[in-house]
This record gives sequence, structure tokens and C-alpha cells, in this order.
Amino acid sequence: MHIPDSFMPLSQAIIYWVIALPFILMSVRWARNELDETKVPILAALAAGIFAIQALNIPIGMGTSGHMVGAALVAIILGSPLAGVLVLTLVLLVQGFVFADGGITVMGANILNMGVISGFVGYYTFVALRKSRLSITASAFAGAWIGLVVSALATAVELYIAGTFPLIPGLTAMGLYHLIIGFVGEGIITAVVITAIQKSRPDLIDNSFLSSEAKGAAA
Amino acid sequence: MSDTMSGNKNMKFLYAGIAIALLISVLAPFLASPDPDGLESAAMDIVDEAKLTAMEEIAPAVESPMPDYAIEGMGKSGEVAAIVAGTLIVLVIGFAFGKLAKK
Repeated sequence: MHIPDSFMPLSQAIIYWVIALPFILMSVRWARNELDETKVPILAALAAGIFAIQALNIPIGMGTSGHMVGAALVAIILGSPLAGVLVLTLVLLVQGFVFADGGITVMGANILNMGVISGFVGYYTFVALRKSRLSITASAFAGAWIGLVVSALATAVELYIAGTFPLIPGLTAMGLYHLIIGFVGEGIITAVVITAIQKSRPDLIDNSFLSSEAKGAAA
Repeated sequence: MSDTMSGNKNMKFLYAGIAIALLISVLAPFLASPDPDGLESAAMDIVDEAKLTAMEEIAPAVESPMPDYAIEGMGKSGEVAAIVAGTLIVLVIGFAFGKLAKK
């Protein structure tokens, strides 16, 4: 879902930088306040893993492929959507400058879509489902899936405003492809990784939002 | 790794993460689907062909050393090298940033 520079006029690309910048700054502040010595290796491992998995496009039929984004996964493990914003910002910087994957001028839009929107929607969907006592596996799957679909729809709207996509066909095509990409590439992978970590290192996953209520309901 | 990191049990998580990330990096050029991604497919479905061709011919704002995760003239081994390099760059940046930013 990496928008290239040619898909958006510079004037609009700058606006998305202005919108994304406060989130990037908040993510740096999150790191300064929440990141301790023990979490640094987790952040680094997640960033490297997400860069690698983004190179692995999964075929979804219809002559189309897609890959995981990973903001929801990072947010769930580290307990804040800002962690997802931080990791996706680092990954998108390297992808844009070293590999020409995703534009430079439109990087603000890509950070907004893949870091902020998929991270926030994915994380808070996960939290809401956990609080309604859904299992961690199902909550992670649904959160990551919905987060990706919403970010794809936001991308379609941005490209409509940019004059690149027509509105309804854009929403339809982006929505359809990312419903499938989100199911396989985002939902299933996120659920598998979260479940594996929950089984091997349950202490790693931030569950603090559950402790105020529904004690003992965590499955 | 510095001495202060020894005894940090999360280092195991880091090593496992590096191993998985490098494994994916090496396999990705062989396993990844060459089909266009969701955004590119959507563009091909709904954007006028001439307009799309014109947009694709616009050079990117910044020249990249390894465009499209490849090294010119090196084929698959170049793709493996490019993705492994990217994974290591992100790893080092992530670790260095974390070290500098941590409370």
C-alpha cells in the first residue's frame, strides 16, 4: 500500500506530512517515556522482522498480491499504537530512501496510513475486543484485519482528493483487495505471532488495559 | 552488545527475531508473489492507462541505491543481498534509536 510520489501532488503530500508529524513526535516521546533497557531489543527485533515480512508479498488471486504492514502487531506487543507509528516510520524511511518503495514526498501520507491509521484502529479494536472478553488470538486477528482495511480505505480517499483515483471505484477496489490482504497477510500473521508470544513469553505482551477491570477474564 | 545488556532475557527475543527476519529476507526473493500489490492493482483497474503510464514515467523525487529491492545485474542473489541489507539497516537503526531514546 506504499503510495509512490507520482500519485499525489506535492502540495497535498506536504499536508499529510503536517498531519503525520505530531504522531511521529508523540511516538518519539512514547519511546523516551516508556522504552526501558529491556524493551530496546524487542523494538529492534520487531522493526527488523517487519521490514523483512513487508518484502514477502502473498498472492491473493485476481493477479494481485499484498504484504503485512505490522503496526497493529507492534502496538499490541508494546502496548501503545505509538509504538506502531515509531516502527513503521523507521521502516518506511529505509524503504523510501534505500529501496524506492513508497515515495519520499508522500512519505507523510504513507506514515499516516500504515503507521497511524492501521496502528490506532488495529490496536483500539484489539483492546475493545479483549475488554469484551474475546480471546487474545481472535482479538489480535480482528484488530489487525480491520486496521488494515480502514487504512486502505483512507488511502483511497486521499488518492481521490489527489485526483488520481475516482472515489467509488477507488474505495471498492482498495477495499476488496485489502479485505483479502488484511485477512491473510495481516490478521492471520498477527494472530499467529501474538499467540506464539502469549504461549512462550506471556510477560512480553502488554495487558495493562485489562487490569482495571475484568480481572481473571484474560484467556 | 554492551555489558549492560547481558542478563537481559529479552536479548533471546532479539536473537530469535533476527533469525526469523534474516530467514524471511533470504527466502522472500524466491517466495514473494511478483503480482502487483493491492494499490498497484487498484490503480491498473481504475486509472486511465495513458495517465497511469505517464505517472509511472515520472522519476522518483530521490534516487535510491537499490530500487525495487534489487542490485542491478545480480539477479536473485542481488535481491537476497538487498533485502538482507535492508533488514540489518532497520535492525541497527531500531536498536540505536531505542538505546538513545530510552528513559
